[in-house]
Amino acid sequence: MGPITILTVDDSPSMRALLKHALVGQGHVVHDAEDGLVALDWLNRHIPDLVITDINMPNMDGFGLIEALRNQDRYRDMPILVLSTESSDEKKLRARDAGATGWIVKPFDPDKLAAAVRRVTH
Amino acid sequence: MNTNAILSAKNRINVIQGDFYVSAEPELVLSTVLGSCIAICLYDPAIETGGMNHFLLAAPGTGGEIDPLKQRLYGAFAMEQLINEMIKRGASRSTMKAHIYGGSNIHRAMAHIGTSNANFARDFLRRDGIPISLEDTGGSAARRLDLKPATGQIRCKHIPTEDVPNIVTPPKRPLEQTRVGDVELF
Repeated sequence: MGPITILTVDDSPSMRALLKHALVGQGHVVHDAEDGLVALDWLNRHIPDLVITDINMPNMDGFGLIEALRNQDRYRDMPILVLSTESSDEKKLRARDAGATGWIVKPFDPDKLAAAVRRVTH
Repeated sequence: MNTNAILSAKNRINVIQGDFYVSAEPELVLSTVLGSCIAICLYDPAIETGGMNHFLLAAPGTGGEIDPLKQRLYGAFAMEQLINEMIKRGASRSTMKAHIYGGSNIHRAMAHIGTSNANFARDFLRRDGIPISLEDTGGSAARRLDLKPATGQIRCKHIPTEDVPNIVTPPKRPLEQTRVGDVELF
């Protein structure tokens, strides 16, 4: 698998750094954003291969971001993974209905994350 | 609530290793006992709500085989759980204050663990922009910690390590019940 461009969205700088460390270590190009609004601004100018987003964030949460992306033609088929401490069926169902491609429960296992990235981008 | 009131509180929750708790309940006291583990106490005066976590180890290593179930114990996850729960209740990073406790180097042969845990907690909070208003870490004694989350009042007592086994009776939550690391594709 060649390197892909991934946008990670998480309000915690520490978690963004951890995630970036893991994904860059897997050979990917990683950009990050601190919430859904910042992500949307970046996405207006770039098209990544994958978005990995947290759910609980200020300004615009992960659900809002997914819905906003799925309302744009160019992001209708782009894979979006949720990476969250939450694991309730209700939240997962809401994410799926909003258009998420999958859900990963934190703390992420780097190998499982890599496998999920491979599956949704190929 | 004075110190005696904290000690005699009837509504007390023990925050065991790998767990966290957030509340605004006026009479509640959160308690834990720490050795090399770290407990972060967060308090946001704007919403009169506080919380505590209790974790061992710092963050997932790189490149190593790590059981995802055990990762629940890692600080990064513990920190995010606590912060997220505070934010869900209306707190913000700009108004929260943090206290760091624990990180003792009780066993000389494992001296780096307590220091490493404390360094991780300090770095995480600084990177996340949450001010650290008090830190009581390191040394060789265990600590008994009590937090009244509705007011942010905290009592931390250093205790001889030989007393710790009599104080700590953690009814550990079975890790098998957690779902950390799960990947579900829709």
